[in-house]
Amino acid sequence: MESSLLLSITTFAYLLCMAFYLVGVVFRTDRMLLAGSITAFGTLVIQAIGILLRWWESYRIGYGHAPLSNLYESLVFAAWSIMLLYVILEFRSKQRVLGVFPSLFAFLAMAYASFSDQIDSKIQPLVPALKSNWLIAHVVTCFLGYAAFAVSCGISILYLLKKNQMSDSNEKGILIYLPSSRQLDEFNYQMIFFGFLWLSLGIITGSVWANSAWGTYWSWDPKETWSLITWLIYAALLHARTMKGWRGTRVAWLSLLGFVCVLFTYFGVNFLLSGLHSYAVK
Amino acid sequence: MQQNKGLWQQIYQTFASLKLSIFIFLTLAVASVIGTLLPQGLMEQDLEQHFSPTATWWIATFGLHDLYRTGWFRFLLLLLCLNLIVCTIQRLPKAIKLLRYRDDHVDPEKLTKFAHHKHFSTKLGWEQTKDVLARVIAKEFGTTTELQNEGLYSAIAEKGRWSTLIVYVVHFSVLIVLLGALIGSLFGFKGFMNISEGEATAGVVLSSADRILNLPFQVRCDAFEASFYETGAPKDFRSDLTIIEDGREVLQRTIRVNDPLTYKGITFYQSSYGSSVRNAEVEFQDVDSGKTYKLVLPYRQAIPIPGTTDRVQAMQYQQDMAQFGPALALVLFREGQEPSGSWILVDMPKFHGNRIQNYQVKVDHVEQSRYTGLQVKRDPGVWIVWFGFVAMLAGIGLTFYTSHRKLWIWAEPAGEEREWGKVVIAGRTNKNPLAFEQDFNHLCERLQEELKQKDQRE
Repeated sequence: MESSLLLSITTFAYLLCMAFYLVGVVFRTDRMLLAGSITAFGTLVIQAIGILLRWWESYRIGYGHAPLSNLYESLVFAAWSIMLLYVILEFRSKQRVLGVFPSLFAFLAMAYASFSDQIDSKIQPLVPALKSNWLIAHVVTCFLGYAAFAVSCGISILYLLKKNQMSDSNEKGILIYLPSSRQLDEFNYQMIFFGFLWLSLGIITGSVWANSAWGTYWSWDPKETWSLITWLIYAALLHARTMKGWRGTRVAWLSLLGFVCVLFTYFGVNFLLSGLHSYAVK
Repeated sequence: MQQNKGLWQQIYQTFASLKLSIFIFLTLAVASVIGTLLPQGLMEQDLEQHFSPTATWWIATFGLHDLYRTGWFRFLLLLLCLNLIVCTIQRLPKAIKLLRYRDDHVDPEKLTKFAHHKHFSTKLGWEQTKDVLARVIAKEFGTTTELQNEGLYSAIAEKGRWSTLIVYVVHFSVLIVLLGALIGSLFGFKGFMNISEGEATAGVVLSSADRILNLPFQVRCDAFEASFYETGAPKDFRSDLTIIEDGREVLQRTIRVNDPLTYKGITFYQSSYGSSVRNAEVEFQDVDSGKTYKLVLPYRQAIPIPGTTDRVQAMQYQQDMAQFGPALALVLFREGQEPSGSWILVDMPKFHGNRIQNYQVKVDHVEQSRYTGLQVKRDPGVWIVWFGFVAMLAGIGLTFYTSHRKLWIWAEPAGEEREWGKVVIAGRTNKNPLAFEQDFNHLCERLQEELKQKDQRE
């Protein structure tokens, strides 16, 4: 069994998972939602095995490093962490209907990683700059943050759709199955705070690492700067919510803005701006 | 005077306002976006080559080509600090006062105005009622503090009282990090040094100013080695360094990327490498007399040709000049004449251009040595920054996982005209209201059950 096979299965399984959730929500079928949950959990396990197997394979060909070293591996890990956080949220909140967007994001990340010509899925050796124990700590913390923001973005979209539909006073709308606006808002806040905590950890581990590799903990490299911009946006959101009592729609829009920053930090900086994180391009 | 006071008050209020905080967050974010979109570190005179005159004016005026070091960006950071300090001065005493405040009584009228409250009636005896309340609440929520026990019963149960102060830890940590950065920039330095293999130096070229700083000790590069994977990707860069202090070798270590050397607070990082010419063995044949001179030219040092007044110097070296292979630039100094020179192709000794004045020139050997490029840094503020980071993480983590939850309990025994005792319970949280609602409802169900069960047993 090879990791690439498991990861291909994962790609399609997330698509299937998204389909189950979508059908479940639209036609209000509990069975479909349950199928979505089972698929989500199963795929998460398969993908975890795939990632571990890739780790082992990298030792077998003599490179020996955690599968977190380039764009392909980070996308796979991003998909995995989004679904991990979502499954935990689903388990804790007992709400199955929020799964459409997380599974869509996970599928898109996997599909982009697998099918883009620009992305090399081969296991590559580590360049000297990445040879550090900080690699795992930095990438894992950053991506848990990104994943929480992705789930929050999904919840925000649902919130805005629901608000929009409720104002049309269409009582028979397909989104009736969703949890109440108040619940959505609370889940959203918790995800954002969780993401903020991990993004802070990610920036700080990166900063400590940069200090031991390049001699400076902050050099205004585009990637660093964009992660700070993202941090500032979410900090503004948290302040507005706690101190000004912002709720619902405004928080949802800010969360979307924050996620756009996350996407730019992740992809935009790689492709449009040059800097110290250049190994993340391929 | 009165008006003056009003103005100060206004300024003070502005600094304490959340609006200013959010304004600073967003302005810092927008400024940072500009900083990443425009290339940083260009010289002012190079701007015109890249941008239109209007754009150049804007960029030069606001220092957008070196944005993070401009005065106005630092002013924004200063504003953020002031905002944090004033907010703390304004709110912390109130928070502490609130923390110290202890309720001395519970008003059942007020409890019914809480979002989370519940009424019970019980047929239990007074002592038993009090017992059930204290026991169930202690199990589900936390121990209660009784305020009144005679005639009426009132109590408070509380969790995470200190959590209201944690936000100040987070705010303080931002100040600590910025303080550490300030100390680093005031009392530290950053620069680089290139050391050829076998050589030692104490000079650091500072990156902020074009100045050389001499360290109190020398660093010698004993060897540099770069290795590559089969794919051509770099695998490892390593330098064997020796620290020489007062003529003695005091420390020997190998550094790599991600594994620097620190000596007396100064850290050396493997950052780049290259090669430079040490000397060149060159043959000069005087085409007039047929005489041949063999010379060893140290790089960039003029050497006389014996028996003549001419001096020659190796000026430049290129690994591959216009695809003709390596080439050495030589200059000939002859008294009373302008210096003359030429690129001599090393691999093509018969090339007609390998000639300066009356000399046909042949390069026999070019000895090169590799140099290692070290980033050199001293930063006394870095530990303060680390401390700030730890405080920030602890603060944000605790803010996420703690909340202040409080319960008020009030009970009245059955009176002469009523046969039921009355219980009112209310609760409040400052975070995660949904989870609190669930817990509160669960607590109420348990209470109701217990009060009934006892009832049936009697």
